[in-house]
Amino acid sequence: MERKDYDVIIVGAGPAGSTLARICAQGGLDVAVFDKRKAIGNPVRCGEGLGSREVIEQGLEVPRWAISTDVKGAKVVAPNGKELIWESKETSGWILERKLFDSWLAQLAVAKGAEIHVNNRVIDVIRENGKLKGVKVKNGACPDICDYTAKIIVSAEGMESLTARKMGFPTVHRLYDVDTCYQYEMQPYNHQNLIELYFGNKIAPRGYVWIFPKANKRANVGIGIGAHLETQLKKSNIKGADPKPYLDEFVKNNKELKEASTLMDFGGVISVCEPIGKFTMDNAMVIGTAAKQVDPIHGGGIALAMESGALAGNAILEAKKNSNFTEGFLFNAYEKPWRETAGSKMAKRLLLRKVMEKLDDDDLNYIFSNMNQEDLAEIVGKSKFAETAARMVAGRPQLLKVLGALMG
Amino acid sequence: MIMIDHEGCIKCVGCSSVCPKNAIEYIGERMATYPELCIDCGLCIKACPANVIELFPKIKDISQLPPEARKKYNV
Repeated sequence: MERKDYDVIIVGAGPAGSTLARICAQGGLDVAVFDKRKAIGNPVRCGEGLGSREVIEQGLEVPRWAISTDVKGAKVVAPNGKELIWESKETSGWILERKLFDSWLAQLAVAKGAEIHVNNRVIDVIRENGKLKGVKVKNGACPDICDYTAKIIVSAEGMESLTARKMGFPTVHRLYDVDTCYQYEMQPYNHQNLIELYFGNKIAPRGYVWIFPKANKRANVGIGIGAHLETQLKKSNIKGADPKPYLDEFVKNNKELKEASTLMDFGGVISVCEPIGKFTMDNAMVIGTAAKQVDPIHGGGIALAMESGALAGNAILEAKKNSNFTEGFLFNAYEKPWRETAGSKMAKRLLLRKVMEKLDDDDLNYIFSNMNQEDLAEIVGKSKFAETAARMVAGRPQLLKVLGALMG
Repeated sequence: MIMIDHEGCIKCVGCSSVCPKNAIEYIGERMATYPELCIDCGLCIKACPANVIELFPKIKDISQLPPEARKKYNV
């Protein structure tokens, strides 16, 4: 690494950072990406699902080797076992091999001229007279700390987002704002290439169990529950949410899974809240999961990260053209259009999540008994749930009240 | 301060995502802690999906940990 000065420094080589790096490098900017992990995409902390729309919109074609299997739809299961199966274009997508997918996106950025440096941890930001100038980076293999400067520093750090905090962005999560998740990769499981979601407060309080299909009769079986809940006694006699016992119970009660082997133990904590209040500052921005741009219903962040990375990347190209990296310029070029498009969709889905968490199992069973495939399509796919939801809860005045209060 | 059972830890950074004091960080393939920053709030324990974090209130250095804890965590 001879260079010390860049147009853009990106912290984090996940889907958001690599997408932004690709677009900026393609536009002729000098781009460096620092990632503290020793290998891109590792450890996996995610359910690995991705809809096809976002990728196609960016003119990309995911190579077969980064995809575990195709998904043709979703199966949603009510607490009483009633199943709804929904197959449509909107639900089609893939379950990825996440390490390979992240590596592929990084390689696309490198091919356009971006520099990517793994095992390089940003330990602090550099300011000069209050102005953000660069970052201090420590290489994992040596004790030296190097300074790098850039016109703009972008945090694409995912859940941890420590550099963003050092830049002044409020990225710490409240417990209520996250689901705590545990997952197993299991085999064999005879899936039907459907994403299976199991709801119920006994199965997964304020969350759900998922079974994502993978190649060779494998499945990613996981659970997310509200981290603010006090469901069990955890270490040090602290009451908290412990997802693993719920997942083990689910596996034990599933005819196929209880006989299956576990190939991988993993997990994570997912943002299911509103995005942070501010994505831009002078010479700085936050994108993807670091900005809490995560779907509050299913916790998916890859598609939003790529969308945000592309929007922010084009915003930086504009900023460079105008030699203007002020908060005002970056806000108008990235944050404002994001909030008007993806942000508005996210807000509706957050509302739906808040409706769902008010429901008990009896309510959920009632709603499912009144729901058909088209209703599900309206709610999940288009977030146009007000009318549909109102029709489904029409026989239950208490549910209408919940809905009314939230729509308020 | 907190101690993390690295054998059971799944490196998900859930703890650092809720830590209000930046006292936990993923470094070199494992979670590292900064006891001097820790305020013993226990939020990381509540968020941890693997339930591998233990709290030792008012202790700021591993030398002050009870002997059984030092043995358990091999420090």
